[in-house]
Amino acid sequence: MSRICIVEDDRSIREELSILLKNAGYDTVCITDFLKTKEKILEANADLILLDINLPEVNGELLLKGIRTEVEIPVIMVTSRTSEMDEVLSMSYGADDYVTKPYNPTILLLRISAVLKRASGETTKTSYRNLRVNASKGSLSDGERELILTKNEMIIFQILLDKQGRIVSRDELMTALWDQEEYINDNALTVNISRLRSKLAELGLENVIETRKKQGYLLV
Amino acid sequence: MKFRSYIKDQVASVCIFFVAWAIMLIFFRAFRMGHEQIVIISVIFFLFEMLQLGLDFLRKKNFYEKLLFHSKNLNKKYLLPEMLEEPSFLEGKMVYEVLRASHKSMCEHVTMHRHAFSEFREYIELWVHEIKLPVAGLQLMVHNHPEISGKYDHQLQRIDEYIENVLYYARSENAEKDYLIKEVSLKRAVANTALKYRDDLLEQGISLKTEHLDKMVRTDGKWLEYMLGQILGNAVKYLSGEQEPEIIISAEEAERETTLYIRDNGIGISASDLPYIFEKSFTGENGRRYAKATGMGLYLVRNLCEKLGHRVNAASVQGEYTEISITFGEDEFYKKI
Repeated sequence: MSRICIVEDDRSIREELSILLKNAGYDTVCITDFLKTKEKILEANADLILLDINLPEVNGELLLKGIRTEVEIPVIMVTSRTSEMDEVLSMSYGADDYVTKPYNPTILLLRISAVLKRASGETTKTSYRNLRVNASKGSLSDGERELILTKNEMIIFQILLDKQGRIVSRDELMTALWDQEEYINDNALTVNISRLRSKLAELGLENVIETRKKQGYLLV
Repeated sequence: MKFRSYIKDQVASVCIFFVAWAIMLIFFRAFRMGHEQIVIISVIFFLFEMLQLGLDFLRKKNFYEKLLFHSKNLNKKYLLPEMLEEPSFLEGKMVYEVLRASHKSMCEHVTMHRHAFSEFREYIELWVHEIKLPVAGLQLMVHNHPEISGKYDHQLQRIDEYIENVLYYARSENAEKDYLIKEVSLKRAVANTALKYRDDLLEQGISLKTEHLDKMVRTDGKWLEYMLGQILGNAVKYLSGEQEPEIIISAEEAERETTLYIRDNGIGISASDLPYIFEKSFTGENGRRYAKATGMGLYLVRNLCEKLGHRVNAASVQGEYTEISITFGEDEFYKKI
């Protein structure tokens, strides 16, 4: 389980963020007191830091610069400053991503998982049960047969696979699809999922994608 | 300033001169002076009077003609006092002093307002950052309680949009440069905007198509996303009930420029309204009939485009389509760096 350090001075945002991340299966550490912030962040020994820019005592951008000189923990800047200037500055100080408040929580989670994946050097999972997943070719194979998935089906399958055993909401799937410039609607998502199911069934995996009413889908 | 009009102005002093001369003549007669003496003295008297008027005229002409010339030709007339030299005659000196004093006081006044305006603007920026915190907090709370999600989410998004409007209005009205131009991927900018308006688009059953967007343009990414948001927002607002709603975003590269087209098949804009849609507070037929419009969205788009050096255009046929295009210039100089 990845541990995320939340550096945010607004108490309600901090608490809700922590709930959001815990629900998404992360462990969280919150910094609540902003004296010696840098030391506290480093002590937290997190896998990723969510860093606000407007902090008491210290500026987030400078803090980022300080953290960068010591460790290589990935950092996502989360801030209400919306100018390109702040983003460029943060990125040049070594931030891995920049998200502006108010954010769509689903998008934030998407960015967090992308940054974590990149940082751990772990590519997306390449196998599911007896299947080999070839993302660049967009295909699934069980050694004998090879089935080509469409781009949308592949995106959906990869997300379900990454979160195998956990429920993935339709909102999460849609956000990921739209984020990759696949602007499909709800019906198309349903169609894509049923096609994906039948392709998996062709490879001998029946009913591996379960539907949970009003919650989403689950890859078992 | 003509000599004749000067003399007319000096009529009092000329009259006094003639009166003095007449009194002198009476005295000359009384003392029984000879004709030659009277003529010589009178000529000298006249010559000196002419000389005095002439000199005075030249001094004044010099100063006032400059004054009139500059006040006619300067396009910033308040700079007039800067263009004048201090004259040597009393009356001119007084005018000069008065002009300088009023100039100075106006400068102070303008500075004060400029200062107040920039302070207000700074406060708006600060306020926007502040108000975004509770909105972000609420958004997280709503997300963490999926049972209340839907409706609240939408309202929160509206609040966020209105906040952005204030921010960009403040930015667009100000001469300060607070944008940053760099290479921006059109694809990314469109995806970010589409993600933001996803719920609106899907709710209205609009299908979004993109074509040839894998291009880089020189712009401020955040500003571009805001402008795209305004244009998409309009497309969502003015749907025609007759066709399957559709928005097509495409880009076209020409020599030294790239144009982004956002085309919808909504109700369109009437030909008589079309030339005015980028004007401030213009709502037009559509704005009055279909949706509550403030006439700010496209005005801001045009203003921001102007600042960034882009061109924005609109084409439309009522009942068929509306197409807004933004043209980005290319600059070889920047590309090399």
